[in-house]
Amino acid sequence: MNTKKTDRFSNPTRRTIVKGLAASPLVFALGANKLGAQELSQMSSNTQSSNSEFVNGVSDSQIVLGTSAAFTGPSRGLGIELYRGAMAYFQDVNSKGGVHGREIALTLYDDGYQPDPAVNNTTKLMRDDNVFALFGYVGTPTVTRVLPLLKKFQEESFLLFFPFTGAQPQRQLPYGPFAFNLRASYRQETGGLVENFVKVGREKIGVFYQADAYGRSGWAGCREALAKHNLKMVGEATYTRGTQYTASLKDQVEWFMRDKPDAIVCIGAYAACAAFLRDAIDGGLQVPIANLSFVGSENLLKLITDTHDNSEKYSQFLVNSQVVPSYNDLSLEGVQQYDEFMTKNAPSAPSEVTSKEEDYKTFDRSFVSLEGFLNAKLMTEILTRIGPEPTREGIEQAVFTIQDLDLGIGETVSFNADRRQGLDRVYYTIVENGSFVPLNDWTAASNGWTEAASS
Amino acid sequence: MIKITRLFQWTIFGVIGLFGVLGAANAIVTLAAIDRDLTRETRENSQNIAKAIADSNVDILLNNDLSTLQSRIDQMLPLLGSNGYIYITDEHNEIIAHTFVPNIPEEISTSEPTGGIIERTLKGKGDFFEVSHPILAGVGGNVHILIDQDDVSLLIQGAMGNQVWPLAITFLVAIVLGLLLVNLAARPIQQLLHYAVALAKKESVDKPQNDKLLVRKDEAGDLARLYQYFALVADPNRSGIDAK
Repeated sequence: MNTKKTDRFSNPTRRTIVKGLAASPLVFALGANKLGAQELSQMSSNTQSSNSEFVNGVSDSQIVLGTSAAFTGPSRGLGIELYRGAMAYFQDVNSKGGVHGREIALTLYDDGYQPDPAVNNTTKLMRDDNVFALFGYVGTPTVTRVLPLLKKFQEESFLLFFPFTGAQPQRQLPYGPFAFNLRASYRQETGGLVENFVKVGREKIGVFYQADAYGRSGWAGCREALAKHNLKMVGEATYTRGTQYTASLKDQVEWFMRDKPDAIVCIGAYAACAAFLRDAIDGGLQVPIANLSFVGSENLLKLITDTHDNSEKYSQFLVNSQVVPSYNDLSLEGVQQYDEFMTKNAPSAPSEVTSKEEDYKTFDRSFVSLEGFLNAKLMTEILTRIGPEPTREGIEQAVFTIQDLDLGIGETVSFNADRRQGLDRVYYTIVENGSFVPLNDWTAASNGWTEAASS
Repeated sequence: MIKITRLFQWTIFGVIGLFGVLGAANAIVTLAAIDRDLTRETRENSQNIAKAIADSNVDILLNNDLSTLQSRIDQMLPLLGSNGYIYITDEHNEIIAHTFVPNIPEEISTSEPTGGIIERTLKGKGDFFEVSHPILAGVGGNVHILIDQDDVSLLIQGAMGNQVWPLAITFLVAIVLGLLLVNLAARPIQQLLHYAVALAKKESVDKPQNDKLLVRKDEAGDLARLYQYFALVADPNRSGIDAK
């Protein structure tokens, strides 16, 4: 073990060795290497090829998971927070000796939330890095393009665990068997939002969405949910993936103004959705504006509050669905643990893959990092159940042994061949006093939106 | 500078005119062929893309997996130039996937089902031709591809530009060569003229170029010798003429 640590210091790779607090200098030392993705990839390959003890991402001392996510660009907050949440848990596991004596390590690549880099990164992870499994991917357009690779390499039994997307492709044939999901689907999120809006009489629902697979997934969910009530969308508008907060989305707002919806469901990332919220309210479109969990609620709210003194003018119309409970709900054991580990381990952004030019301030707590934390907790449970001689072929059976597992959030997790999604519950939140709180009374909230619009 | 003899002025103007007509005719035929071929090729490519989308995504459509369908058409989009669009309608002519930002143009959302190739003007976006291809013989819907006619025009103009330069250069080279050839043909006549003038003025004609002229075996040589004969007949005592 000591020799390996010395080797890792002298031959750093972009692999993040997740250590406990006692070993945090090592994390820092590795994290401080300013290496480009290509150099990092080459170094990793060299290390892997010269280190024959790694077999399919497993050595005597480590088990390596591979991640491609958005660590740069306008959606970087999602990749960074998801990673930080996962790290908070993995660091704790590793500080206690890992899983069956093996530390959990992550090999990270940045895809900037773009499909082509995600495909290239995944190919590297599978062929060059030969990781044990894929973990913690971010985004529908990226994951949708990666899924065929899992089928291509199915003989090597690669599986994708807990991607940060609620889209359908990894939940149904032909690619469903190659992935396991923890979070509820976009269909469930959009279905819940539409159901609740309709219940309070807001039947004219418009959809603002990202012009790609993610947007289409949420759009399809809204359409399906509305059809159950014999309703159709009242207006729809799109934006281009990668749109920044500084962009004007007044054209989209004007489009909705013609149709005058009672509510709008946004299927987008935080920068564009914050810009839309700003332009909608400023343009007189004062109706509840809902966002899905993927939006990155805290990132969205921060953009609004950082740029407006009277941010409540905008945030009072926000209603965001979440797929994990509130991180403030410390009555839940799992949330308590998250709170404790985030404080204790204080995970930082992965400096190896984030851009030095892009300033990013991490959040103390967030729904995204809580999801990352729960992903890591469940992944650790799976790795534990695989046993002391882990093989990729054994992963699926280990996952299927998970029945009614309590992650400490008031909802148990079960998997089987027909059920590859752990959680189903959707939570709804609104903004009060500058932070997201649970929305329990939709009627009162709807009245509040009406009052706010008329005032 | 090439000097054109008066004798061949009309000839050279005729040659230039002829080259001009030939060049223009060649250009018109070539450019028309480029326009026709590229327009046809672009439309065929669009039809092939529409067909590829329609044929390769049947299972996805039947599974109602619209996000994967969207992902597929997003991948095809770069093939359509800088301002191309794809949209897919279901069997009820409802648009179930598209690439429009910020919204579906009204001209499309309110239009009746289309087939084959039609031309459309989309407000704020330009003039397009739209190619459609049925999915499962139409019972699964239709794939529609919109190609910006400005993109096609730019493509054609680029190809035409590539053809016009060689044609223009060929035209100029042909004119210069024509001038040189006419000048070459006129040179003995000019020499003959200078020789005849010298004889008439009773100047010395004992020069190497006149010697060369007098031994030529063509009409210029015959005429030179005839002038020499007339000069000797007119003045048998004239010196400086070596009768040949």
